[in-house]
Amino acid sequence: MTCTMDELILKLKKEIIDVLNLEDITPEDITDDAPLFGEGLGLDSIDALELIVLMEKNYGIKLKDPSQGRELFRSIRVMADYIQANRTK
Amino acid sequence: MQERIFVTGAGLLSALGTNKEEALTALRAQRSGIAPLVYLHTSHKGLPVGEVKRTNREMMRMLGLPETEITTRTSLMGMLAVREALEQAGLSETNGLRIALISGTTVGGMDMSEQYYLDFLENDTRNAYIATHDCGACTEMIADHSGLFSLVDTISTACSSAANAILLGALLLRSGRADIVVAGGSECITKFHLNGFRTLMILDGEPCKPFDADRAGLNLGEGAAYVVLESEDSARRRNVAPLCGLSGWGNACDAFHQTASSPEGEGAFLSMTKALDSAGLSPEAISYINAHGTGTENNDLSEGLAIQRVFGENIPPVSSTKSFTGHTTSAAGGVEAVISVLALQHNFIPVNLHFSSPMKELSFVPATVDRPVRPLQHILSNSFGFGGNDTSLIFSKTESV
Amino acid sequence: MRPLYVSRTACITRQSVSVNGKELPVSSGDGRFLAAVYRTLGIDYPKFFKMDNLSKLGFLASELLLREDRPRFVPREDCAVICFNRSASLDADTLYQATIGPGEDYFPSPSLFVYTLPNIVTAEIAIRNKLYGETSFYICEAFSAHQLFTTVSHAFADSSIRSALAGWTEYGNEVCEAFLMQIETFPPPETALPFSVEFLTRIKNKL
Repeated sequence: MTCTMDELILKLKKEIIDVLNLEDITPEDITDDAPLFGEGLGLDSIDALELIVLMEKNYGIKLKDPSQGRELFRSIRVMADYIQANRTK
Repeated sequence: MQERIFVTGAGLLSALGTNKEEALTALRAQRSGIAPLVYLHTSHKGLPVGEVKRTNREMMRMLGLPETEITTRTSLMGMLAVREALEQAGLSETNGLRIALISGTTVGGMDMSEQYYLDFLENDTRNAYIATHDCGACTEMIADHSGLFSLVDTISTACSSAANAILLGALLLRSGRADIVVAGGSECITKFHLNGFRTLMILDGEPCKPFDADRAGLNLGEGAAYVVLESEDSARRRNVAPLCGLSGWGNACDAFHQTASSPEGEGAFLSMTKALDSAGLSPEAISYINAHGTGTENNDLSEGLAIQRVFGENIPPVSSTKSFTGHTTSAAGGVEAVISVLALQHNFIPVNLHFSSPMKELSFVPATVDRPVRPLQHILSNSFGFGGNDTSLIFSKTESV
Repeated sequence: MRPLYVSRTACITRQSVSVNGKELPVSSGDGRFLAAVYRTLGIDYPKFFKMDNLSKLGFLASELLLREDRPRFVPREDCAVICFNRSASLDADTLYQATIGPGEDYFPSPSLFVYTLPNIVTAEIAIRNKLYGETSFYICEAFSAHQLFTTVSHAFADSSIRSALAGWTEYGNEVCEAFLMQIETFPPPETALPFSVEFLTRIKNKL
C-alpha cells in the first residue's frame, strides 16, 4: 500500500487516463501541478464525478459533495497529497 | 384558424395520492408527498423520495387484477391514471372513434428485471417478466387493460417523455390521424436510475428546494399522469365539458451536453419561445409557469436564466411542483400537465415549497403564495430531458384558447 | 407533403465503411473498429472516446456525412436528427448494470449511466453540429423501411424543418451497423435521390 509520492502520482495519472478514456494522452502529458479541469485535458462535470468514484474505489476515500471534488482536482499533486493523507486502502 | 384542442379528462397518481382529488387537496394544503423511501427494495432507505404509497399488490387490487397477473409497477400506475382520465372524459367504449394512447416512459419494466434478473439467469421461474422489460411492453399492458386504443405509441426521451407524448398527441389530432388521444407518462422508481442519479450526485438528502440559493439536488419521485385530448368538435359531439385547452407546444434541443443544461438555457429558451409562437401568445399572456425546477444547481440556474430571457422584466409567478411530487422523471410532463389543468380549473398557483433564500443570479423568486393576482388564463409547463430534449406546453382556460 | 431527397448517405458495418456508395479503406489498427474509423477520418474530438458504442457509431456516421462541409458547425434550428434501432442502449445498459451489482464491487459509474438512454446518440450529433431542432430516437421491433420512411416524412410536416440527419444505428448483440442519410427539401444537386421506401430497403439490404 505504501508508495512514494512520485510513484503515487504516476499511478494516479495512469488510472485517470484509463477511467476517463483519455485517448492519445500519456502520463508525461499531464503536468503534476497543472489544473485538471478548465483548459488542458478538456474534462467535464461527468469526468469529475468519475474521479470521485475512482477515489472511493481505489483509495477508499468517500467524498460527499461534488464541490469537494472541485477543490481536490485542482491538480494531480493536490489529489495525490490528499490521497496519501486520507487513503484507507 | 386551426381547430382548438381541448383537455376533457385527466388522471394523476403520485406521491400526493392515487387520484387528482387527493393531489389537489395536498397542493392547496401545501403538503408535500416526499417522505423517506420505503417501497423500493434498496439499501438507500431513508432517502427522501416521492413514492406512490401503494404496493404493486394493492394497485392490482384497485384495478381488479388477479395476483397472478404479469405486470410491472410502471404499467400498474399507468393503468390507474389512464382509468381516471378515461372516466372523467366519459370514455368507456370506442363508439367507432380512433382513440390513441401515447405514453412516455424510459425505465419501463426495469423494476421487475432488477428483481428477477438472477432468476432469468439461473432458472425459468420468472421468464414471463423478460417480455415486460421494455418500454413499449409497459404501454401495451396499459392499453390492453382498457382495450380502447387503436393506436399505441411509447415515447422515451428521459424526463421530457410525457411532455413529448402530449405534444405528439396534439400533432396526431391536428393531422387527423386520431379522434381522441390519451397522452402522458408513467414511471416507477428503480434501483437502476436511483443509483444513476446518485452517481451524478444530484440527489438531495433532504426535501428538495427548487430555485433556492441553497438547493442541493432533486428528490426522485414516481407516478403516472395522463390527459385526454380531443378537438372542440369531438368534445361537443360527445357532449363532454372541457377542463381547459392545450394551446401551444414547442420542442428544441439544447445541443450542449449529454446530461447538463447549457449555462444560458438555450434549449429551454427555444422550447418556450416555440410554444408561445404556436399558441399565438405573447409572453405577457402567461399567468403562471410550472417550471421543470428539479432543484439541481444546474437546472434551476439554466432554466431561470432562460425564463428571464423569454419574459424579461415581466416574469409571471414561477414554481416547481417537484417539491411536492419529487421528480417523476418520464412521467413529470404528465404530472405537471395535470397539475396545470387543476390550477386553471381551481384558479390557484401551486406554490414552491421549501424556498428561503433567493438565487443571486436570478431576478425573480419562486411563487410561495397560492392566490393569483389575476385569474389564471394561460399556464406554461416546462419539461427538460437528458439529451438536451426540452419541451414546453401551454394550457389555457377554454374561453381563451 | 414536400418531396424529399437524399443528398448523402453514409454506411458503417465492421466489414465496410462508405459514403454515397464509395468505400473508405479503414486500417484496423489495434482492433478497436470504431476507434479505427475515427482515426481514418482524421477527426479531432477527444470526447469521442468517452462515448458509448452506440453514440460512437452514430457520431461517426454523421461525421462521414458532414466532414467536408464548409463552413461547419453553423448553428441550425431547421435540421432534425432522427435515429432508429432495435436494441436501444442495451450495450451501455449492460455495462452500467454491472457497476451497480450486489456485493463488494458496488461502484455505480456516472459516465456509463449517462449513456443508458438511446437518445444520447442524437444528442451527441446535435452537440457536435450545433443542431437545435427536433431530435428523436425510435426503438422498433425490427427494421422497417416503411416505418422509417413515414416517421421521417412526418418530421417534415413541421414547415420549419428543412433538413434531417436520419437513419438506422444499431449496436449490440454482436451487431454493429449504421446508415445515416442527409435528407433535404430543396431542389437537389445531380447526385441526390428521391427519399423513398425503396431507397431505404436498398440501403439496409446492402449493409
